Parts: sequence; C-alpha cells; structure tokens
Amino acid sequence: MNIVLKDVSKSYNGAAALKNCSAMISKGIINAVIGPNGSGKSTMVRIASLLEPADSGEVRYGGSHAEPQNDISFRRKIAVVLPGDSLFNDTVFNNLAYGLKIRKMKKALIRERVTELLEKFQLSDKSYSSIRTLSSGEAQRVAVARALAVKPQYLFLDEPTASLDPVNTGIIENVLHGVNTERGITILMVTHNMFQAGRIAGRIIFMYGGRVIEESGSSEFFANPGHEITRNFLNGKMVW
Amino acid sequence: MYGILISFEKAFELILSLNRELAGIVVLSLLVSGAAIVIASLLGIVFSYVLAFRRFPFKGFLTNLLNTSMGLPPVVVGLFLYLLLSRNGPLGFMGLLYTPSAMVIAQIILAFPIIAAMSHAAIVMVKPNIRLAALGLGATDIQASVAVIRDARYGIISSVMAGLGRVMAEVGAVLIVGGNIAGYTRVMTTTIALEYDKGNFELAIALGIILLLISLFLNAALFLFQRKVYR
Amino acid sequence: MRFRGLFLFVMLLSLCTVSTLFAKTRIRCASTTSTQNSGLFEYLLPIVEKDTGIKVDVVAVGTGAALEIGKRGDADVVFVHAKDDELKMVREGYFVDRHDVMYNDFVIVGPPGDPADIKGMKKAVNAFRKLSTEKVIFVSRGDNSGTYKKELKIWKIAHIDPKGRKWYLEVGQGMGKTLRIANEKKAYTLTDRGTWLALQDKEHLDMVIMVQGDKMLFNQYGVMAVNPLKHKYVKYKEALRFINFLISPKGQKTIAGFTESHGEQLFHPDAK
Repeated sequence: MNIVLKDVSKSYNGAAALKNCSAMISKGIINAVIGPNGSGKSTMVRIASLLEPADSGEVRYGGSHAEPQNDISFRRKIAVVLPGDSLFNDTVFNNLAYGLKIRKMKKALIRERVTELLEKFQLSDKSYSSIRTLSSGEAQRVAVARALAVKPQYLFLDEPTASLDPVNTGIIENVLHGVNTERGITILMVTHNMFQAGRIAGRIIFMYGGRVIEESGSSEFFANPGHEITRNFLNGKMVW
Repeated sequence: MYGILISFEKAFELILSLNRELAGIVVLSLLVSGAAIVIASLLGIVFSYVLAFRRFPFKGFLTNLLNTSMGLPPVVVGLFLYLLLSRNGPLGFMGLLYTPSAMVIAQIILAFPIIAAMSHAAIVMVKPNIRLAALGLGATDIQASVAVIRDARYGIISSVMAGLGRVMAEVGAVLIVGGNIAGYTRVMTTTIALEYDKGNFELAIALGIILLLISLFLNAALFLFQRKVYR
Repeated sequence: MRFRGLFLFVMLLSLCTVSTLFAKTRIRCASTTSTQNSGLFEYLLPIVEKDTGIKVDVVAVGTGAALEIGKRGDADVVFVHAKDDELKMVREGYFVDRHDVMYNDFVIVGPPGDPADIKGMKKAVNAFRKLSTEKVIFVSRGDNSGTYKKELKIWKIAHIDPKGRKWYLEVGQGMGKTLRIANEKKAYTLTDRGTWLALQDKEHLDMVIMVQGDKMLFNQYGVMAVNPLKHKYVKYKEALRFINFLISPKGQKTIAGFTESHGEQLFHPDAK
C-alpha cells in the first residue's frame, strides 16, 4: 500500500514543524527523504509512522480513510528506527528480542530469529554484550536489526547511517536493499547523504520549510530537478 | 572494653540459639517492611513516571514537596498517623491503630517519597528516545512506559533499597502507631529501643547485628545483580 | 495498570484480614514503660490468658500518654500509677471501674559519696529541700510520667520550684535512661524501686539508695476500664474480666509472687 500524507500540519510549542505537508511514500520500494536541517524530515517520519498524531491533516495507508492512531494490531506492521541512540540499556540480544517479546512470540522462535539477524549484521559475537560496550557503528546496526526483527511491512529509518564509516554504512545499506527486494517491504529513510539516496532509493522526497517541495523517481529527480530550491540544494548552494 | 566484648559474645550466643521470640520479631520486621516496600515501590514508581512524563497543575510544587518529604522525621509521621488512625480520628472507624497494618502504612509514608524522588531522578535520565523506540517497535502505551521504567531499573532498584534501608532502620513511627506490643507489633528496632531501656544490652546488640546482617545481605545481592547485568 | 491496581488491592485486603484475625479475644491495655520494663507483664499476662482466655496487648508509654490513649478510646483498659489523675478522669467520665491493684515505692538514689548528705533521711520532702540548698545535680524525668508527677508533688509540698535551676536537669527520657544519666553525672534522682533493682542488677550503677520508706514515696498502681458510654467499640466486658482477675485473690497472689532475680518482691498487692 502506498502511504499518503494529506495536508499534515504539526507544531511544537508554537513552532511549526510541518505546514500542510503532503507526500506519497510508494509501496515496495525504498523512499529517501532529503532536505536541509529543520525542514521537517524527522517530524514527517514520526507522523507517517503513526508514532505521533498530526495537529491537522491525515495519514492514509492505502485506503480512503485516515489510519487510527491507536490501532495496535495495525501499528505492529510498522517499525521505526529513530535518529541517534535509542537502544534499551540492556544486552544486544534483548534489544533485538524486544519487539518479539511484546508480540508474545515463543522463546525458541525469538532465539532463532535474533540469531539469524545478528549474523546478517555481523554482530554474532556481541549477542550478550551490553549496548554500553558497542561502537557507534555496531550500535546503529543493532538499531536497524532490532526494527527488522519484527518483520515489518513498513520500515521507517531516520538517518540510520549518520556519521558512520563506509564499512558500517555498507552493511546497513546491503541489508536494507536485501529485505526490500526479497520481501518487498516499504521503506522510508531520512538521509543527509545525497549519494546514499541516489545509491539505494527508488524514489526521492525533497523537503524544505516543513513541506514537500518535490518528489519523484530517483533518476528523474537527480537528472531533472523541477524546482529552483531543489536545484540550489543539489548544487550545494544552500547553506544548511 | 571488656564489657563490650562480653556483650557481643552473649549477643552471638543469643543469635545462634535461635530463640523463637527473637525469630518472630525478625520475621515480623521483614513482613512489615517487605509489604510496605512492595506497596511504596509500586506507588512510587508509577508516581515518578507520571511526574516525569505527564503535565498537570502544581507539578513543580509537587516535585518540591516530594524532595522535601524525603527527610520526613519518622516520629512526626508516626504522630500524624496516630491522630488519623486514633478512634477519635477521621480514620478511627477502621480500627487500624496498634496493628501491623498501621505500621505498614507508616512505613509506606516514609518510603514513598524516597522511592518516588529517586526513581524520578532515574527516569528523567533515561534517553528521551526510549519511549518512542518502544512504540516504534509495536509497543502499546503501557508497554512503552514499562520499557522506560525498565531502562531506569538500576536507579529504581537503588531507590527501593534506600527506601527499605529507611524503613528497616526506622523506630519512631512504628513505635507510636504499632505500640510495640509483644508478639504482635514488636519489630527489631522497637525491641532494640525497649531492651536498651530495660538494660538488656545483649538482646539489643543481637538484634542490631541481625539488622546489619540483613542490610549487608540485601546490598550484596544488589551489587551482584548490578555487576551481572553491567558485564 | 489494571493488574497493578488489583495486586495492590489484594495486598491491602490480606493485610486487613490478617489484623482482624489477630484481633479476636484481644484487649488492649495502655500502661507505663516502668511497669513493662520491670518484666511484670511478661510474667503476669500468660497467667491472665490461661485463667480468663483473654490476650492482653500492652502498649507501654509514659503515664501521660497512657491516660491520653485511654481517653481517646484507643485502648480498652489503662494500668498506670498516677492515682490523683486517675480519679480525676474517672470523675470526668472517661474511665469506669477503677481499682487499686498494687503498690511499689519510690526511692531517692544518688552517688555513694552523698555530697548533699541526705542519706538516711526519713522524709522525702526534707531530702528534696536539702538537695536544693546544696545545689547538687538532680536529674528529673521531665516527661509527664507517674514518677515525674510524684516528683513534682514532692517539690510542691517542699515549696520549691526547681524548674530552670542550673542543678536541675529535665531529660525527658524513660526511667532506665534517666538512671543512666544520673549515674554518669554523679547526680541524684527519684526512681521506682522496680526499675532501680532491675537496672542495678544488670549494669551495676555506681549509686546507692539515699531515702526510702516514706509514705509520701508510695507508688500506687491502679487499673480502670475505658468508659463504654464514651466509646462504644471498646471491649468493656473483656476489660472487666481482666480487671476482676487482677483484684481477685488469685490475681493478687500472682502479683505478690513476682520477684526480681534476687528474689526481692517488686510489687505489693493492695486491692480492696
């Protein structure tokens, strides 16, 4: 299902973060959100992923009606990787198992799935380490693995590779690319890195000033930006 | 100095002989303080969470009040509770004065501010993303709240231990509302005070040693628990 | 959240049931620390329970507090030693069925050197006068206890107001602690004989008896029930059974049989 945001507004303590923002997140592909700092990317992720309600406007997952905020069985099709450090103060294993435990999954199944993911993210030897002992690259891998553990249909990631080295970035990009092609899950990923967006995203959403200025297929977007602001941004003329 | 050594020797003899009356006093102490701590912990943790995450009027004032009442003098609590529970008082119809229940209530009042204030400090130290992270993995509101509390668990456990230390060592409040009735509301601290009054220093010391051993044991358990998880 | 609420409720409920289970044939007796510290109750109450089937819970506080607790209806029976106050409160309607039970006596104790030279004096009032003129340190309970009330009465008869004098220390403590303080300070004090004997035996205080045997120094113990017309819920019938046992020939004999470790009788039954 495509995810559609229609005229979404949101402000915090009187400061507007989103102003009548409309966007479409295409199903089955990786959508990248780019834009300067303060353009409302993170807010858009939180509202599109149903973590927070909008002040006005609506979020639709396919259907013709807005998704209710507190439908837990629907929300469990969604997983979110938040920016920065959002790991539970616990072992790597328990972080990955969290989403499965609250879904009341059997212990043996949890172990099986977590072990598999740890392998995929090259974290097998860290299973029983406290997250306090991890490097930032490892921590970020744990965060992504934790979200994938619940096998979401919709995956939101807010700067999952920020300030990571190419090796760690590569591991994460590979897995995302893999689950996207294998399972066809819908991914929305905020990134500051335009090269990364071009590398893995099939669709680009460019935000500026709390709204979407331009959204189109990846090759189209980079080859033929349609808006003045987009061009400035891509040419690095914008201070951000 | 010699006299002190003799007292300690006799105290150890008393402990080793496992006097039934002594055992009853120790068990009652643990039951009363244990019940008080379980209830105060539940109330305190939930309250500290609400204080940390919900907005409501007089929040600043309430936080101040909480921090101030960490140092409530036990005798004042005891006296206040006595007046409440006395037959003439507003809660007199419940007939709780001079019962173990009254002692539990007194200890809840003493432990609650410590547990709530220290848990609050621990909960506000939790990374702000934790709650959203749990929600973003499919947690319900309550599950997300539990995740935040879980993340603050070391601080919260310390707060519970501090609360337990306070109520186990406390004498003024339980003496007033419990009445130190033999075999009914007589706990370790009130017995120590009484036996000191009577000049039975050996029994007082024996109970003091047991009290110390219990807190030593609890702290060692806490230390091991923390080390196990931090490793 | 719902689960926690339920858990809490169950906890409280079980606590309440436990306390009511305990509360069946019990009565509550407000008494004084000195009586409790003498060990009388430990000796007496099992006999009471066996004879009357009533378990007596003793709350031992100062005489003032014991009377107050009784007045408020927080006890069923009061067993103290302040006869004047007791009679006054009976007249005021707070208590009924007051009976003398027993007496022991007070003694004036002090350092063996006896700097005030009162040893062997016959009259307590004269001894107190001497103490005040010699200005030797006197340690007073200062706590509204029966002993303190007795002490004040003696000062009053002697026409002396010791309050605020340099040599007069009001410590606000129980009898045992007061004796210890007097011992440390090589001072004089007024004590009941029971506490004196018990403490002297255990701690070998460096003090001796100075004055004893004066009628003035008799310490009358009385028992009385809280007036059921004032407080409906008091267990008046059971309280009466307890009182009747104490003043019965058997009860009186039991009290006379209570001795300290050297066999000295501590209380003299005198119920009429």
